[in-house]
Amino acid sequence: MSQAVARALDSRPFRLLSGPGLRLLVAAALVGIALYPILSDNRYYQNMIILTLLFAIMGSGWNIISGFTGYVSLGQSVFLGIGAYTTALFSVRLFGPENPGEQGVNPFWFVPVAAVVAGIFAAVVGAILMRTRGHSFVILTIAFLFVMQLVTLNWSGLTNGNHGLTLPLTTWDREYQYWPFYYALFGLMLLSVALSWWIRRSKLGMGLVAIREDEDKAASVGVNTPIYKVLAYVGSAVFIGAAGGVYAYYLTFIDPRGMFDIVISVQVVLAVLIGGRGTIWGPVLGAFILEPLLETTNTELGIGGNERLILLGVLLGLIVLLLPRGIIPSIQDLVTGQREKARGGLVGARLERKPLRVVERAQAEAREAPPGPLLEIRGAEKRFGGVRAVDGVSLAVERGTITALIGPNGSGKTTLFNLIDGTMPPDRGEIWFDGKRIDGLPPYRRAHLGIGRTFQITRLFRNMSVLENVVAPLRDFSWRRLGADAVSGPEAQRAHELLEFVGMHRFADMRAGSLSYGQQKLTELAQVLMLDPKLIMLDEPAGGINPTLIAHIEEMVHELNRQGTTFLIVEHNMPLVLGLCDPVLVLARGQCICQGSPDEVQADPAVLDAYLGADFALEQKAGVS
Amino acid sequence: MTELIQVIILGLLIGGVYALLASGLTLIFGVMDVINVAQGALIILAAFVTWALWDATGLDPLAGLLVTTPMMFVIGYGLYMGTIRWIQGKPPSTSVLLTFGLALVAEGVMGLVWSANLHSATPSYFNQSFRLGDFYFPKAQVFGCAIAVGVLVFLYIVLTRTWLGRAIRAVSANMSSARLVGVNPRDVAALTFAIGVATTGAGGSIAAVLYPFLPGSHYAWISRLLGIIVLGGMGSLPGAVVGALMLGVAETMTATYISPRWATMVPWAVIMIVLLARPQGLLGAKLREDVAV
Amino acid sequence: MRRIVWLLALLPVLLALVFAAGCGGDDDDGGDAGGTDTGATDDGEASGEPIRIGASLPLTGDFSEPGEAARRGYEVWVEMTNEAGGLLGRPVELIVKDDQSDQNLVVTDYNALINQDQVDLLLGTFSSLLNLPASAVAEQAGMVYVEPAGGSPEMFSRGFEYLFFAQQAVSIHQADLFSEWVVNLPEGEKPATAAYVAADDPFGGPVAEGVQNQLEAGGVETVYSEIYPPETVNFDAIASAIAAEQPDVIAQGSAGLQDGVNLIRALQRVGYSPQQMFQASTPSFADQYSDAIGIENTEGIFFAVSYHVDAETPGNTEFLEEYRAAYDEDPAEDAADAFAAAEVLQAAVEAVGEIDQDAIRDWLRENEVETILGPLSWDETGAPEQAYLLAQWQGGDEQIILPEDVATSDTIVNPKPPWSGR
Repeated sequence: MSQAVARALDSRPFRLLSGPGLRLLVAAALVGIALYPILSDNRYYQNMIILTLLFAIMGSGWNIISGFTGYVSLGQSVFLGIGAYTTALFSVRLFGPENPGEQGVNPFWFVPVAAVVAGIFAAVVGAILMRTRGHSFVILTIAFLFVMQLVTLNWSGLTNGNHGLTLPLTTWDREYQYWPFYYALFGLMLLSVALSWWIRRSKLGMGLVAIREDEDKAASVGVNTPIYKVLAYVGSAVFIGAAGGVYAYYLTFIDPRGMFDIVISVQVVLAVLIGGRGTIWGPVLGAFILEPLLETTNTELGIGGNERLILLGVLLGLIVLLLPRGIIPSIQDLVTGQREKARGGLVGARLERKPLRVVERAQAEAREAPPGPLLEIRGAEKRFGGVRAVDGVSLAVERGTITALIGPNGSGKTTLFNLIDGTMPPDRGEIWFDGKRIDGLPPYRRAHLGIGRTFQITRLFRNMSVLENVVAPLRDFSWRRLGADAVSGPEAQRAHELLEFVGMHRFADMRAGSLSYGQQKLTELAQVLMLDPKLIMLDEPAGGINPTLIAHIEEMVHELNRQGTTFLIVEHNMPLVLGLCDPVLVLARGQCICQGSPDEVQADPAVLDAYLGADFALEQKAGVS
Repeated sequence: MTELIQVIILGLLIGGVYALLASGLTLIFGVMDVINVAQGALIILAAFVTWALWDATGLDPLAGLLVTTPMMFVIGYGLYMGTIRWIQGKPPSTSVLLTFGLALVAEGVMGLVWSANLHSATPSYFNQSFRLGDFYFPKAQVFGCAIAVGVLVFLYIVLTRTWLGRAIRAVSANMSSARLVGVNPRDVAALTFAIGVATTGAGGSIAAVLYPFLPGSHYAWISRLLGIIVLGGMGSLPGAVVGALMLGVAETMTATYISPRWATMVPWAVIMIVLLARPQGLLGAKLREDVAV
Repeated sequence: MRRIVWLLALLPVLLALVFAAGCGGDDDDGGDAGGTDTGATDDGEASGEPIRIGASLPLTGDFSEPGEAARRGYEVWVEMTNEAGGLLGRPVELIVKDDQSDQNLVVTDYNALINQDQVDLLLGTFSSLLNLPASAVAEQAGMVYVEPAGGSPEMFSRGFEYLFFAQQAVSIHQADLFSEWVVNLPEGEKPATAAYVAADDPFGGPVAEGVQNQLEAGGVETVYSEIYPPETVNFDAIASAIAAEQPDVIAQGSAGLQDGVNLIRALQRVGYSPQQMFQASTPSFADQYSDAIGIENTEGIFFAVSYHVDAETPGNTEFLEEYRAAYDEDPAEDAADAFAAAEVLQAAVEAVGEIDQDAIRDWLRENEVETILGPLSWDETGAPEQAYLLAQWQGGDEQIILPEDVATSDTIVNPKPPWSGR
């Protein structure tokens, strides 16, 4: 049965229907909405569509910060209020009419101002709020909303407090009463959706999705997370602010409680959840489902306030429990899921490697390198409560080496990696890289300086394709390139080369989450290489994979090392370490107890005592390796 | 000076009641990482039931907690099994959205059953005070605070002296390890949620006497409770007590020395400042920042 | 997977049902409703095309209590009018929508009334917060808008032509008679200090502000003046602060029943009773008020009202009879205000003889209407030109004490006795 369904979904007619056919449908709907006021005088429906468009705009904006970036805001309507008050204040206080009943400057002129002010608020407050994550961020967005409401209420000298602000009545013919509002909001909706689309297909969007998937990983591959997040928040705010300005004029009266309303925020979230968060048209679809539903139940069925609350609450609960991804993604999943069932999987395919083209830049840098070790750690300490994970470690990694870092479990190796790549700050001590002190720098700065790191348990952006994963890392931060197509240009080219190097080029379009463990490790390595790093830190590269793949990785390490890359490898696989690496650093109980060549380390009694044990020495002598 | 002390007295008396109300919220968060935004609505529900009992039978509202506490326990258990259970482990926004939905439903239902007028249970002592020198202690506040303290002590004993309490703390600290020592996290979570909601039963009954309420009052309550648990440290019961007392005094002092208008800002200001400057609050645990293994 | 399919199947079905139920009113012709049928001429028999009057009211939500009262007021008027032969000989049909105390919905509701239901006439909703956006809809549609409750100054500062407020005064002037009386007390009796506390609300705020302005001008010193959020329920800190100042007068611009009651309870707890106490609307809640604070404690409290059950205003007796028969209790002030609003509209329509919005507007501008609140007339902004009644609780009853020509009692209790029952 599912074979038949799968074949049907894969067939040409269905593809036509769901591809160009769907686009035609969306276009027809848009044209319909655009023409409605011309065809029908009915102000009741015009009003309904106006409110729906408002929610579509708000949902589209919310989607940027919460859908793409994963920072869920429950106070997004704060920007509606900010935009509304900005427009009202400009048109009433600053450029208001001399006498009541006269017209001042048309408030529409201040709608762009509202957008700018909303954007400024978003930039400033966002920079502060987005230092937190998870629960804290959600709560803080609610707090932001209520604080703005209270400030607006209490600062009555400016905002007229609870009395609210009244805007002038419209000046044009009654016949076209709602047209300017209707078309203004329609235009804003199109702009909002366009912004969504533009962000999604750009490098900025890819970075945002990476942040959503795994923020720390994104930082460690060079994504400038603070700026990206603020940009997303600003993008989510500007059109909502503009819409607020239009809406204020439409209502002709605004007051703090009406404009800074948590229930509106929740309605926006519900609308997007229904339509599908993270998609382009999901927010619009959701708005067109939810708003008419709410309005109609009120006016036609006379349902009162209490039933409305219950309806909202039940819908919210149902969507969260049963359809958390929303309509569009669920349908998409259904379709692609069925399609993929019909096709065979690639997972078992062979890996084929190719040698790597050397990047000129890396070679030039290698020639000009200053003297001294590439990485130097001086007296680093890190404690967690009472546990001293790293207890005064000083070591150096020389350029061009493949250095091993070994030690028993709990000796502090991963913590040391975290201190080097910036995941956590040391309590004490200094870390120097390539002649610069880096222990105060954020992870993405260190990635830009040339540190790459893989993880013991692989961290990829599971919902992106393999190719996207490899294109995501960023060598530096550039405003100009933010807008470029996500997978394009020399980066895409390089990504393909890297995938060929590690042997994963056949899997380029596969979802990273469905790879096997070993394939993920290779992909992670390709990601790291994208940064053209001077130092690559491998955290247990040989863990959990078969011997052939281990040999494969060993070959790659050698090749890269020949091209000038330095390696620092944490490993438990002794034969690999002793064969591949020189020097070897030994950590035990948070301290570096020995460093030297493999032979020296093997013979050192302190090492043997702490780690290798007398047995191993015996096995070595017996020639098993 | 007298006025200052009087203000502080009033603040502490209220703070005691706040502490009881916040304890449930912080307990639930500590064990299952869920922020139960519906806690405010449940408090109001308990208040309405208390009022209904008082209105129909004359039962002293404070005694009404003997009815509301077990009732809310059952409701809490049911809510967990019916809805919260399915979203454990999901990102934080999911639990906030779901519980917000529950709060809206509760508000709507209460509005249908009891209408949106302000209700207040007014036993004979509601407008009387104890006098001690220059100071006055409103009777209802004193009784309410005393009961709140009693319930909190009882809760504390349960948490530290009983098996269930230890199991709760174990799950709160580390769920997988708790499983290893024979604790069924799901049962513990359900019971914890039920206990957390049960505290709203007692608290709601007290609130019914102290403040008039209507279905929409839950927003004011949840903002206060969030402020308290953030200040005290999310998940910490002693933190909730300290936070509650501090917030009670802060609100009262703001209302007196600055203006009643700004008193409602206090919980939100606390939330913003604490979450940004010291997210773990006063007594909360600083989480290990390790990359998970 | 199956869950998703169920949900996807259910949602469209649900929506289809909702829309099918709702899709009864699409139409291409919006704008002004016309219609000037003349009905049958039988005396006492309303017949012919009904005249449809539309209003939105907060039947649920924050303002549901007064909203419900207003609805009753409107309904009683419809009953009485139809019994007496209708309006212009035609039966009256009232359509009331629930705006759930929500500003966005009130705009939607009035749009629906004008466009979908195509009503002939409009009546207003309750509270300035709702009337402000709603009146704009009416103004832009060119329809007369008589509102029963919404006296905030903002309502009348927009140059609207079709707006009329069916009470005697806007909020800032509601307590004028009280202020005058205080300021004119003889030297030994006149208070020296006053405390003002008001809800942050377009109604409560201006009332207290009005009193404060006039008393300060009259030489009474202000020792405390604060505003509280309308949803405040804990007045202990406020009462404590007021008590510390020991003012002679306390004037509260309360927004409704509960904030007024709670302030008094808090004052009782702290043990402070002023010489004169004024509350904006709370004491008008009759039994609810006296039950809440204790009947002995009502003695001497002043308040301003637009309506009194015993007032000898035209039509009041009949109104009371009808209301009591329908609802088995006395009407709240808001119900009376709503009835008066309908009376205003009725007077104008009958005087003009047809449903012509502009003619109705012009007539109201120039004429006075006799209502159960007394005579009402308006200035060019739609604001009324009369004065509120000053009332006081005496011996367990509400009495009108000023203006003298409608007073129900000749004494004024002064000073207020201390709280009892402590």
